Amino acid sequence: MRRRPGIGGLQKAAAARDQYRLLGENVAKLRTDMMKEQLATFKSQLEEFARKHKNDIRKNPAFRAQFHEMCAKVGVDPLASNKGFWAELLGIGDFYYELGNIDTGIGVQIIEVCMQTRSLNGGLISLQELCSHLRQRRKKDREAVTEDDCLRAISKLKVLGSGFEVITIGKKKLVRSVPTELNKDHNQILELAQGQGFVTVEEVQRRLSWTSGRVIDALETLLEEGLAMIDNGSKDGKCQYWFPCVSSVYSFVGSDI
Amino acid sequence: MQKLGDFKLPQFFNYPPYFTLQPVRDTREKQIQLWKELILDFCKSQKVFLIGVEEDFPLFSNSAIDRTLSHEARETFLSAIVGEGRAEWLDKGRRKCLILWHRIQDWADIILKFVRENGLEDSVMTVEEIRSGTESLGTELEGIDRTILMRALKLLENKGKLALFKGTSADDEGVKFSV
Repeated sequence: MRRRPGIGGLQKAAAARDQYRLLGENVAKLRTDMMKEQLATFKSQLEEFARKHKNDIRKNPAFRAQFHEMCAKVGVDPLASNKGFWAELLGIGDFYYELGNIDTGIGVQIIEVCMQTRSLNGGLISLQELCSHLRQRRKKDREAVTEDDCLRAISKLKVLGSGFEVITIGKKKLVRSVPTELNKDHNQILELAQGQGFVTVEEVQRRLSWTSGRVIDALETLLEEGLAMIDNGSKDGKCQYWFPCVSSVYSFVGSDI
Repeated sequence: MQKLGDFKLPQFFNYPPYFTLQPVRDTREKQIQLWKELILDFCKSQKVFLIGVEEDFPLFSNSAIDRTLSHEARETFLSAIVGEGRAEWLDKGRRKCLILWHRIQDWADIILKFVRENGLEDSVMTVEEIRSGTESLGTELEGIDRTILMRALKLLENKGKLALFKGTSADDEGVKFSV
């Protein structure tokens, strides 16, 4: 005869479930507690580390990048508060903001560089060129500005809603400081242009298998937005479309810096 | 940085599209602005007073990138400078352009200063001496374009600062200062 679970059996099962649940909760709590403790330890060790290596973090870009990665993993954002422990300890909040000392903050300078070059490149500048402009302005810095520093500053700018965006096209990162929306076609042309700094209608048609109408549409928009310039002077008679944002305005053939 | 003689060329000069007149208005305006400044700076530094639109003015082409400004582009940039009062077309056909990297009034002031600094307040000089005499050597007046010089002198004459008179030949045109 198969025994059906009787009331007693049900009660036992319920009790067992409860106990398992309690145990489960305890285990979870234990795990959480352990984790919290581990985290606290980690955080204090990180603080200790930061204290010890303050100078290295300030002076060495590679080290600084790794330090930030470590912080990110633990959920510590040294830049979150300009007044917090981290900012005070390392003084690196200032390095990124210095809104009080308006000349020197990287974020503010990025905005300035983008505004000043906008009429030349349509509001799109390569990260490399942006960085090089900043280094020029900050020649007196002990600590050289790196592309990572720029990216971090830009991500803060984004939070301020300033319309800055970093886009990746092909192998390059470009910083967009205007609301121009680029669609896939535009991006593909920009990527193609990275080869020689320019494209021709024929080349785009050939390499991307587009109709000439599609090519011309995209190029016209890029021209209108100030992102492209035309060049009719080539010996082969083909009109070339140049993109200042992919060939730095300061690194043309013939100029030696 | 690339140079023309001892003049440092700006980076845009090496970017091919700048040698094509841009169709998009905002881009063209920026282009014109850059070329205007370049032309004026170059002329001032090299003491160029006259540009022939169809001639081989050094800025009209860049052999390093194999580009040359079209006639239309040249005319557009020069006309922009004329529009600002820093140049004048000498002919209706717009083939020759007088460059006033100093305005006529500025030249007049320079002449007055020259007169005072050399104690020439009541003296007489030939026009030619003003532009090539020993006192002018090393000054801005050295080698000044004759047309511009005459215009500046006439301006000063109208203000009663001097009197122009003709000599026995064109070379003897003279000036009596009463500064």
